[in-house]
Amino acid sequence: MTGTSPGSDLALSVDLVSKRFCRDFRRSLRYGLRDIASELLGRRRPVESLRTGEFWALRDVSLEVRRGEAVGLIGPNGAGKTTLLRLISGLINPDGGSLTVRGRVAPLISLGVGFNPVLTGAENIFVIMTILGLTKKEIDRRFAEIVDFAEIGDALQAPVQTYSWGMTARLGFACAVHAAPDILVIDEVLAVGDTRFRVKCYRRLAAMRDAGAAFVLVSHNPLAILSVCDSATYLSAGRVLAQGPPRSVVARYEEEMAGNGAAIPDGAAAAARAVEGSGARIESVGFRDPAGNALERLVSGEPAELWVRGRAERTLEAVSVAVLVREATEGGALVFELQSRDDAGPMEVPMGEFVIRVKLPYCGLNAGLYSVQVSLMEGHFLWMLDQSPPRIFRVGGREGTSQWLFYQPRGWELLTGLDLPRAGKLDR
Amino acid sequence: MSKASALAAGRDSSRERGASSGAAEVVYNAESRVRRPRELFAVLCRDLVASRELAWRFMVRDLRAQYRQAALGVAWAFVPPLLLAAGATLASRAQVINVGATDLPYPAYVMFSTALWQTFVEALHGPSQAVASAKAMLARIAFPREAIVLAKVGEVLVNFGGKLLLIAAMFLWFGIPVTWTALLAPVAVLELVLLGTLLGVLVAPFAVLYQDVSRALMLASGFWLFLTPVVYPVPGAGAFGTVVRLNPVTPVLVTARELATTGVVSDPWGFTAVSVATLLGLLVTWVVFRLAMPFAIERAGS
Repeated sequence: MTGTSPGSDLALSVDLVSKRFCRDFRRSLRYGLRDIASELLGRRRPVESLRTGEFWALRDVSLEVRRGEAVGLIGPNGAGKTTLLRLISGLINPDGGSLTVRGRVAPLISLGVGFNPVLTGAENIFVIMTILGLTKKEIDRRFAEIVDFAEIGDALQAPVQTYSWGMTARLGFACAVHAAPDILVIDEVLAVGDTRFRVKCYRRLAAMRDAGAAFVLVSHNPLAILSVCDSATYLSAGRVLAQGPPRSVVARYEEEMAGNGAAIPDGAAAAARAVEGSGARIESVGFRDPAGNALERLVSGEPAELWVRGRAERTLEAVSVAVLVREATEGGALVFELQSRDDAGPMEVPMGEFVIRVKLPYCGLNAGLYSVQVSLMEGHFLWMLDQSPPRIFRVGGREGTSQWLFYQPRGWELLTGLDLPRAGKLDR
Repeated sequence: MSKASALAAGRDSSRERGASSGAAEVVYNAESRVRRPRELFAVLCRDLVASRELAWRFMVRDLRAQYRQAALGVAWAFVPPLLLAAGATLASRAQVINVGATDLPYPAYVMFSTALWQTFVEALHGPSQAVASAKAMLARIAFPREAIVLAKVGEVLVNFGGKLLLIAAMFLWFGIPVTWTALLAPVAVLELVLLGTLLGVLVAPFAVLYQDVSRALMLASGFWLFLTPVVYPVPGAGAFGTVVRLNPVTPVLVTARELATTGVVSDPWGFTAVSVATLLGLLVTWVVFRLAMPFAIERAGS
C-alpha cells in the first residue's frame, strides 16, 4: 500500500448523517410526493426539523470503515441499523449529512431476492450476478466457482422453484460472496445452511476481507459482533450511544439491555397481563444464587435458581409453570422451555403469597443476552393465570466458549495402570 | 471534537485519492441533485451505459419466464387483435357500429391497428409493472434503475415481433400491396413504443407510492382506445374529430399503419411534432424517474 495519508484506504465514511421517517403511512406517502417535488425543483437541502408525525430514524451518525475492516452495528429494534445500511447502499437519500462510498457496495441481505422461480439455477446465477454489477466475462470466469460453492450439483438445470429452502439460500449466498464487492453490507445473516456449510461461509467471508473488502455488519447478536468486527457502533433510537472497540461497545449494549429489565415491549404479554381476576398473578421473576441472594447475571456452569414470586387470590388446584428462555434477538430463537407439569406434576397453591423456585444445578447457557418469560397456568387445559413480560438477562461466559452453542460442564481424568477398566469393556 | 475533525480529514484525503486514482467514489447528501446538472447527467449517462447488459439479462429472463410458463407461447401476442378484429367486423357488418371507409379491408384494418395499439399500451404499462415486480430487488440492491425500463422496452418490441407474424399473414390473406415505405414503418412503431414508455416512466415512481396510479392508468388506457382510430378511421370534422386528432397517439399510430400499407403519410407534421416532443420528453422523464425513485423506494418497504 502506497497511501500515506490516514484516509487513503477509507472505503466508506458516514458524516453526521440524519434521516427522518414517518410512522403514519398515508402521511409518509404525502411527504414522499412533497420530497420528490422539492428534489426536482432543486429546493431540497439538509433539514434540521421534523414535520408532523416524523421522527429521527438516524440523527447525526458518523462512521468510518477502511478497506479490509469490519464494522458492526448493534442496537435494539428500531435503532436505525437497517436504515443506515440502506443509506450506505445508496437506496435512499439522507436528510442531513453526507455519505462517501468508494467502490461497489453489495448486500448479503439479498439472499434469494431476484431469483425467478421458473428459470433454472444457472440462468438465475447470470441474472443475479449481473444485478450485482458483474460483466458477462466476469460471470463466465466465476460461474464454476459459484456452482461449486453452492453445492447444488445436478439441480443447476432445474427451475429454482423446485429447490429446497436450503438450496436457494446456498445459491443466493454463493452469488453474493462471489460478486467481490468493495463493501459488503450484511444484515444479520452471516451464514446459511448446515454447520459445515456455515463454516465454509465464514471462511469465504474471511478470505474476502483479506482481499480488502470492507464489511458493515448489522446484528442483534453480540457474539457475531465480537467475533467478526474490528470496531462497533451502538445505535439506539437513531443516535450513536457508543463507538469503538467491539468489546467495550458490546458491554455497554448488554448492560443497557439487561439494565432495562423488562425491556422488550410485547403486545401479547401485555394483553395476557390484562387478564384480571384470573385468580393469581406473577409479581416478579428473578435469578438468585443457591443461598438466595439476588443475581445480577448468570455465569455459565454456575448453579442458579429462578424465583417466581406471585400472589394467589384463591386456592389454586393444579398449577403448572412454564419457563421460556429465548435468545434476546429479533424473533429470538427458543433456547429451552421448562414445564413444571412434565418435571414435577401439578402443584397445589394455597391462597396468599407464594414463591416457585426453579432450581438449575448449573447454568447451561453460553455467554450472551437472553430473555426469560414465565407463564402460570391452571388445570388440565392449562388455563392461563398470568404471564410475565419477557425479561432480558445476561449470562457471563468463560474463556474459549464464545463459539459454543451451549455451555457444556465437564471434568477431565486420566486413567492408567490399575485404574483402567477391565479388558473387554475398554475395547468397546 | 477530535473525532469530528478526524472524520473531516479522512473525507478530504479520500477525495484526493479518488480524484487521482479514479476510484469510483459516490457522495450522497441531502442536496437536490438538480442543483449540479453536469454531475447528474454524468451519473445518468454512466448508469445508462452500465445498464445495457443488465437490461439484456432482464429482458431475456422475463421473456423466457413468460414463454416457458405459457403453453400457447407467442399466440398470446396475436389472439387479442384477432378477437377484437372479429368482434369489430361482426358489429360493423350488422350495422351496430357505423365506421367510414378504411384504407384497408376492415378486418385487416382493425387487426393491424389493434396490434399497434396493444404495443402502445404494453409500453405504457411496462415501466410501472416492471417497477412493481422488481420492488423487492429495488429495495435491497442498488443497480441502474434504467435497466428494468430498457428491458421492458425490449420486451415490448420482441412481443411486437410476434404480432408481425399475424400482420404478415393478414397481408397475404387480404392481398394487401406493400410499398417500399414499409421499411420506414419500424421507425414509427419505435416511436409509438417510446411515446408509451415516456408516459409510463413518468408515472412509475408514483405508482410505487399510490395504487391509484396503476388503476387510473388501466382506466385511462381503456378510455383512450375510444379516442384513437383503431376500430374506426380518423374522423373528419366535429368535436370528436378534433379530440381524436389532438390525441398524440393518433398521428404516430396512423403513420405506422400508413407507412406499412398505402405509403401515403396523411399527417407528417403531426408525426414529426409528436416524435420530437417524445424524444425531448424522454430526457425529462428519465431525470424525474431517477430522482424520484429513492423517495418511492424509501416508502415501498423491503
